[in-house]
Amino acid sequence: MISDDPRVDAYAKLLVERCLDVQPGMEVLIRTTSLARPAVLALQREIARRGAFPVLRIGFVIWPTNPAWAAEAPEELLSELPEIDRFASDRMDARITMDAPENIRDGTDLPGERFQALKRAEHYFYRRTMSGEIPWVSCAYPTEGLAQEAGLTLERFADVLYGACLIDWDAEGTRMRRYADAFDAAEEVRIVGAGTDLRLSLAGRHGEVDQGHTNMPGGEFFYSPLEDSADGTIEFSEFPPSYQGHDFGSIRLVFSGGAVVDASAAKNEDTLHGLLDRDEGSRRIGELGIGCNPGITRPMGHVLFDEKIDGTIHIALGQSYEKVGGKNQSSIHWDIVKELRTGGRIELDGKPVQENGSWLI
Amino acid sequence: MVDPRIEKLAALLVERCVDVQPGWQVLVMGYPPARPLLEELCRQIGRRGAYALLRVRVDDPPLRAWMLEADDDLVGRLAEIDGHDYDAMDSYIVVLAPENTRTGSEVPPERVAARNAAMRPHMKDIFSGDKPWVGLDFPTQALAQDAGMTLAQFEDFYWGAVLIDWDALAVKMRKIADRFDAADEVRIVGADTDLRFSLAGRHGRVDALGANMPGGEVFYSPVEDSAEGVITYAEYPACYQSHQVGGVRLRFEQGRIVDASAESDEKFLLGMLDADEGARRLGEFGIGCNPGIQEHMRNTLFDEKIEGTIHLAVGNGFGFLGGTNESAVHWDMVKDLRPGGRIELDGEVVQENGKWLLDL
Repeated sequence: MISDDPRVDAYAKLLVERCLDVQPGMEVLIRTTSLARPAVLALQREIARRGAFPVLRIGFVIWPTNPAWAAEAPEELLSELPEIDRFASDRMDARITMDAPENIRDGTDLPGERFQALKRAEHYFYRRTMSGEIPWVSCAYPTEGLAQEAGLTLERFADVLYGACLIDWDAEGTRMRRYADAFDAAEEVRIVGAGTDLRLSLAGRHGEVDQGHTNMPGGEFFYSPLEDSADGTIEFSEFPPSYQGHDFGSIRLVFSGGAVVDASAAKNEDTLHGLLDRDEGSRRIGELGIGCNPGITRPMGHVLFDEKIDGTIHIALGQSYEKVGGKNQSSIHWDIVKELRTGGRIELDGKPVQENGSWLI
Repeated sequence: MVDPRIEKLAALLVERCVDVQPGWQVLVMGYPPARPLLEELCRQIGRRGAYALLRVRVDDPPLRAWMLEADDDLVGRLAEIDGHDYDAMDSYIVVLAPENTRTGSEVPPERVAARNAAMRPHMKDIFSGDKPWVGLDFPTQALAQDAGMTLAQFEDFYWGAVLIDWDALAVKMRKIADRFDAADEVRIVGADTDLRFSLAGRHGRVDALGANMPGGEVFYSPVEDSAEGVITYAEYPACYQSHQVGGVRLRFEQGRIVDASAESDEKFLLGMLDADEGARRLGEFGIGCNPGIQEHMRNTLFDEKIEGTIHLAVGNGFGFLGGTNESAVHWDMVKDLRPGGRIELDGEVVQENGKWLLDL
């Protein structure tokens, strides 16, 4: 397989230099599938140029998930990573997660309790990146599976991916920082749109601008709102929300005192209620994010892209980000994207700052 | 549904070759074309209550692109995580399934040697036989092409070489090994070949459902300073790390290669022999016994098992067979004795033109 797409080299350089800023001697763990081979080779070269070590964790689905094994192994083995993988989790100096599925449904045929056990096991791996202890980046490589889910050909999908990643991140960062400054200075955010009027408090919280570091594509700024502040209703009808392979059609959530008090879905409503009942924190908002990536203008069926669509916001139910002051704890972190370009606005302390997806700042 | 041959092969590997035990961490390494076998291995290891740690490789050597780009001093170092993988694993299974057997041939030999040297301390328990492991190939177009076959022909050959009556073959090979165990001196005679070396005090191992699939050899680590004479590998190229070296001729004095030449790729041969002190001595003498393998495939894993051939490896010896030679190299070179060669033990001819004269 020859990759004569020069964008792969530029992409690898971006991941190694900007996203991770790999230093000599670092052990950089790369999780992906064999379909991402051209990128894996390019990453090896970039990491070598920085005097560091690539540590490959390549599977047929993203490591540490191994569905063939997980279907047959005793269940008690599933909920904790083996020692070798825990060592890697403790020792790695940086990680790259590069989604490159052959079929985005791979692994979804595992019985629910086995799937949940695997998710519990993975927690050990994620903890040092979620806490910000080490640099990390989540990204994607163009595969037929991802393109199909986005409703695109492979070539067109690759154009969108690289178009959203190979941009002037410093300029984007400056632009997003201006918006974030306005949010930082505000206390109350109000989201108004189709079937939606939701208020959240950001008092005392500061936002983080994702200018191409932990996500590639990046292009959002985000907060963990005050945990007991959400009041009102939000309807996600424009982009059908889904979670771990479950589709819901559209969703309506009513908040009071920060918690979801009423929830309905066009389909799989029981699954939605099950998710909300997962734990103490799964009914509260862990994140409010504002999508700003000019290269992403349509939903791609993948949260990494969809939450960055310019002119959308997303809230995540569940786990919050400590680094932005969040206190909510949950085993889920479910980003749900709301379109504002078709008739919506964002107000800060009563003053509109974005109307129909266009900034007034 | 899983191909029943794959299911059967996976069972041989998991249950017989390695005998996976509950709680073990088993590294399952291999290339994408072997996916059906790799996944079946993971399932069967799971059923045994052990961890299958899948490591799909996308290049050969696995870090080829890094090895070509890294600074000289970096290439001889190993990530701690990689070292720990090998230190902590209880066993490994590696399935090669090349899409092009020349992949990796452009990596300079000194870089390959530096990488091997960095790996060596972590492979101690593998070389000593303290940790069970097995390595094998899975049929691909590239292997078929090297063997001069179509994929369908190669698959027929492959399954015929791996799914055989291993227990019966093991009994036969044990008898051969007993005779060699009892001997002091081995003499190999053939075209431009007359080589003597000693097995005094050394014992052989029968390879059936061991570290190689297919197995089918009896092998020794000869006494390190004993080899005297000449061997010429005229029948087959000597294949190692994506190189195929034609017409290798080696002359030994007191166990050491004092003269080496080749008809092609001689530079690679000499580079490997100069890799370290031990690379010019014999680490292994093996006798091919697999009746399912009759033709040379330009693939050591099969070729060294051809019934009627012997092979000698320059480089690392086997500690578990009393071998003391140490090297980052272990290069098996196969010599066909069927067209006119013989094996003598202490002066008695035991094999002539590839046919045993022993009562087996």
